[in-house]
Amino acid sequence: MTAIPTTPGTEPELGRARKRKEDARLITGSTRWTDNMALPGMLHLAVLRSPIAHARIASIDADEARRMSGVQAVLTGRDLADEQGSLPCAWPITEDMKSPQAPPMAVDEVHFAGEVVAVVAARSAAEARDALDAIDVDYEDLPVVLDMESALADDSPLVHSDLGTNRNATWTFDSAEAGTGGDVEQALADAEVRVERTFRQQRLIPAFMEPRSVVVDPTGEQFTMWSATQVPHILRTMLAMTLGVPEQKIRVIAPDVGGGFGGKLQVTPEEVITFLLARRLGRPVKWTESRSETMVSAHHGRDQVQKLALSARRDGTVTGLKVELLADMGAYLRLVSPGVPILGALMFNSIYKFPAYHFTCTNVFTNKTPTDAYRGAGRPEATFAIERMMDELAAELDMDPLELRRKNWIGRDEFPFTTIAGLTYDSGDYEAATDRALELFGYRQLREEQARRREQGDTVQLGIGVSTFTEMCGLAPSRVLGSLSYGAGGWEHAQIRVLPTGKVEVVTGVSPHGQGHVTAWSQIVAERLGVPFDDVEVLHGDTQSSPRGLDTYGSRSLAVGGVAAVHAADKVIEKAKTIAAHLLECSEDDLEFSGGRFGVRGTDQGTGLADVALAAFAAHDLPEGIEPNLDAEASFDPENFSFPHGTHLCATEVDTETGAVRIRSYVCVDDVGTVVNPLIVEGQVHGGLAQGIAQALYEEAVHDEDGTLTTATFADYLVPSAADLPEFTTDRTETRATSNPLGVKGVGEAGTIASTPAVVNAVVDALRPLGVDDVEMPCSPQRVWRAITGTRTSSDTAAEAGGGLGSMDTGGGFAAGSQGGSR
Amino acid sequence: MDFLRPTSWRDALEAKAHHPDATPIAGGTDVMVEINFDHRRPTSLLDLTGIDELASWSEHGGKLRIGAGLPYTRLIDELGDRLPGLAIAARTVGSPQIRNRGTLGGNLASASPAGDGHPPLLASGAEVEVESVRGTRLLPVEEFFTGVKRHALASDELISAVHIAPATGAQQFSKIGTRNAMVIAVCTFAIALHPERQRVGTGLGSAAPTPLRAIEAEEFLSGELADSGQWDSPRPLDDSVVRQFGDLVARAASPIDDVRSTADYRTHALGVMARRTLGWVWDEYRNHPSSTGRPECA
Ligand SMILES: Cc1cc2nc3c(=O)[nH]c(=O)nc-3n(C[C@H](O)[C@H](O)[C@H](O)COP(=O)(O)OP(=O)(O)OC[C@H]3O[C@@H](n4cnc5c(N)ncnc54)[C@H](O)[C@@H]3O)c2cc1C
Repeated sequence: MTAIPTTPGTEPELGRARKRKEDARLITGSTRWTDNMALPGMLHLAVLRSPIAHARIASIDADEARRMSGVQAVLTGRDLADEQGSLPCAWPITEDMKSPQAPPMAVDEVHFAGEVVAVVAARSAAEARDALDAIDVDYEDLPVVLDMESALADDSPLVHSDLGTNRNATWTFDSAEAGTGGDVEQALADAEVRVERTFRQQRLIPAFMEPRSVVVDPTGEQFTMWSATQVPHILRTMLAMTLGVPEQKIRVIAPDVGGGFGGKLQVTPEEVITFLLARRLGRPVKWTESRSETMVSAHHGRDQVQKLALSARRDGTVTGLKVELLADMGAYLRLVSPGVPILGALMFNSIYKFPAYHFTCTNVFTNKTPTDAYRGAGRPEATFAIERMMDELAAELDMDPLELRRKNWIGRDEFPFTTIAGLTYDSGDYEAATDRALELFGYRQLREEQARRREQGDTVQLGIGVSTFTEMCGLAPSRVLGSLSYGAGGWEHAQIRVLPTGKVEVVTGVSPHGQGHVTAWSQIVAERLGVPFDDVEVLHGDTQSSPRGLDTYGSRSLAVGGVAAVHAADKVIEKAKTIAAHLLECSEDDLEFSGGRFGVRGTDQGTGLADVALAAFAAHDLPEGIEPNLDAEASFDPENFSFPHGTHLCATEVDTETGAVRIRSYVCVDDVGTVVNPLIVEGQVHGGLAQGIAQALYEEAVHDEDGTLTTATFADYLVPSAADLPEFTTDRTETRATSNPLGVKGVGEAGTIASTPAVVNAVVDALRPLGVDDVEMPCSPQRVWRAITGTRTSSDTAAEAGGGLGSMDTGGGFAAGSQGGSR
Repeated sequence: MDFLRPTSWRDALEAKAHHPDATPIAGGTDVMVEINFDHRRPTSLLDLTGIDELASWSEHGGKLRIGAGLPYTRLIDELGDRLPGLAIAARTVGSPQIRNRGTLGGNLASASPAGDGHPPLLASGAEVEVESVRGTRLLPVEEFFTGVKRHALASDELISAVHIAPATGAQQFSKIGTRNAMVIAVCTFAIALHPERQRVGTGLGSAAPTPLRAIEAEEFLSGELADSGQWDSPRPLDDSVVRQFGDLVARAASPIDDVRSTADYRTHALGVMARRTLGWVWDEYRNHPSSTGRPECA
């Protein structure tokens, strides 16, 4: 083991709240977004999208568009049919899964509103855009399938007639069958108390800040693609496989990327089309989307109906959990669409010791935008459902919701703990996180105030919501992914190059798009090698400079990619040690490495890493068989997921007259293991909370009865701003992960996963004396009021859009769209 | 597309007379959205931002004359103390960027039932000054709105200003939306007390095809207050009076179901807002009957 090197008097790098290196450049606008790229002779692509959710394309007339000024080419799906392939789905969850053909550009039929039907390449973006209006597409309408339950009925029209069904796949886990526990039906039959609920996970849109953009340059030896993607490595391999282009002829670069949240974990139709156009035209081609294009065509997230049944004893001990899901795939399977609900399959039991568990999920096709990963992917859905159920059970038993949880959770002395779902949680301390959260929150005082307000019949009622969550992240042990039929592994790679001057380059296979990896990796490597933070350069996001990696998603970067960097650093030290011993004419065993220096034990003799690097570079006097550099690389495949956990407490004030919800206080104590940079962790938590609260109170992608997205602008799709969010009180407990040498767990998704149920539980808790036991998300004033007045029916108010600018086709501007009072 | 950029009001009126189908553009926060979404393809734009006098305000004979081109930000800063109801509403418009550019004139001419500027103007009995090369007219604000997105301007007319009396009593504005900023109102309500006339004014938004006053509610409350001598010696209001006022406000509405809300929620919420804002203004009046400019001895 390498001693932790610290120079006396200086703060250790690990755990230091450094400001992010990369921010000065980003904040001052010296950025390299894909859309900033301009290449000689570059053409601009504009995309014509179907305004109709399901139709046969009878004809496309593009003659006029072809004649327009600046237009170089107009292509339809038919033109590309022979070369465009089918977009990849890398997660066939079952052997008999039904997969429709997914051409990047529709050929005969469109299956969702927003699907690509034609593209124009022109000299300028404006000319390309103008030419779209001159393309005349003749559609023959087909019946539209929107609702999952009716989609599964025998007489339902089909999204893809050749599949003969709208059912994509059914995936099941059963503890009795798996031998991890008992039989759920028995548990439910024997239940002293039984709680059954159906929850709706509304459809969400991963509203990343930078719209998607692709540039492809076909003029070099290789095709070079710049893309606003989270996954340059996966994209390269998938392009090669989809299009049959030799992989070595493709280079993918993810330059500065402005957010993703899973929304850029994709191989998009537009990336493939831009590639094909560049190849065909022999010129660089760029495509950048408008915000409305993002909204209708970039993949959506969530969209499940969750039916749960929970059994328990009167004393609160849970005895069984049965989960039946319907998950909306939308019209096609994208990269990991079918697997997203499966990522939640092993998480519904959460931190509780259920002795029996059954999970089944049916994935359904509809004529809507495809769904895929969105921050948390499967785990927010699971956490929401179980945390809502625990509150419902507490209410049923008239028990304090935290007491109920304490009674059922895994005790701190029970780790490692193998769950009913077959996962082994390596570490955790739910008691510590909860105790700290209660203290910060002032739980007892708030309960007292709540009682007072209830007694006085206040118009504004106080609600307290609890979420004691855990999640599985750090994707992932390749072996487990294999057992879940995932199409790739979950390892990560790093290389460290020690330059002759002693400076260090770290090459990582993860692909940051806002998370601050450059800073964190610099801290990790600076600490490990004992070099100054500023001497470390982090290279990423280019398959040429970083040839191996599996990119960034699933809170994996630090727990997998960061650990690979640690292993590479340790190899550097081992290599350097041999040379140092040679230079110092001592045995390697006599050397100790600390603070970037090899010292001969018991003497003041020694040599620094930089000197060893220079000696290696000069290579004048190296031991036999030693190569002339200190560079090293390492791949790391984790043995287990990481299981961050925490306790989130939310207090809401609910106006029982207007239905308005105000978050009064929000406390979260997260345990993400060892922390490399508390400032970055804090940022991840804040952003995560914002997105989780957004699902609880604000955001929803709404389609009208024709399948048109009516929330296709940020005036209608209600991403919250600072004005909508409370101050967050955050704190941490630290239980080291035992599955990696840093002791770190993922933090990227935790806030999102934990917060949604805390907020909804708080809203329901405020209203429980009024007979309310559920409010559908997002809990808008109107929905809350309906729940109170008892006029709620699950779908009647579902089609509620936020703002009112309306879709791209209806209304117009605040003026036209806001015909609030008109008939 | 032609782009006309007059630098004087006279030139603007001439331009509008010559190009009656020119689309005026002030802050552009409605016009540009419509152009962007291709809901409007103007043959020419008449840019009013080069006319300084349109973005100014003045005071004549006890009334304020607010130029149609005065952005919300300046309205809030410079007139907020004298027009508290309008200022509260203006603070809820969009975001700082939108308030820096958006104007009352644009809000009026868009004539959206959800325009946040409208209810306080109704509650204060404001008048809209419209002008053409043919001359000037002064329209009570409720006569300005003729339907959804329709108003009383002739094709050669422009809005030059809004005339409004400074507050003489407490004023309030309340808005229900699905988010705290950057949101179109689900519904809005404005109330203004006019002690010097012993009247109460109201304005409702997103409640009918046009913004409107709840006249019955105004009559009822003004009558109640006068009959019980409350203007001179204000006391806490009876619950029944407050409730009746709320009911009458709700009854004045004829809302619809749309993407943002159902009609029944709107009606309900208007009643709630009416009761609450009445409570607030009446408390203020009871505690400081003269603080907002009410003459000491009427
Ligand atoms: C993001 C966003 C948020 C918004 N939020 C709100 C909100 O919360 N509440 C709200 O009420 N509105 C809101 N709006 C709408 C808009 O900002 C307001 O209606 C604003 O008052 C319009 O003023 P403007 O000067 O920008 O008008 P413009 O867009 O310039 O013009 C609007 C209309 O008025 C006409 N016009 C302008 N000036 C004159 C004149 N002097 N004479 C005759 N016709 C004229 C134009 O031709 C056009 O028809 C929002 C808009 C956006 C884009």
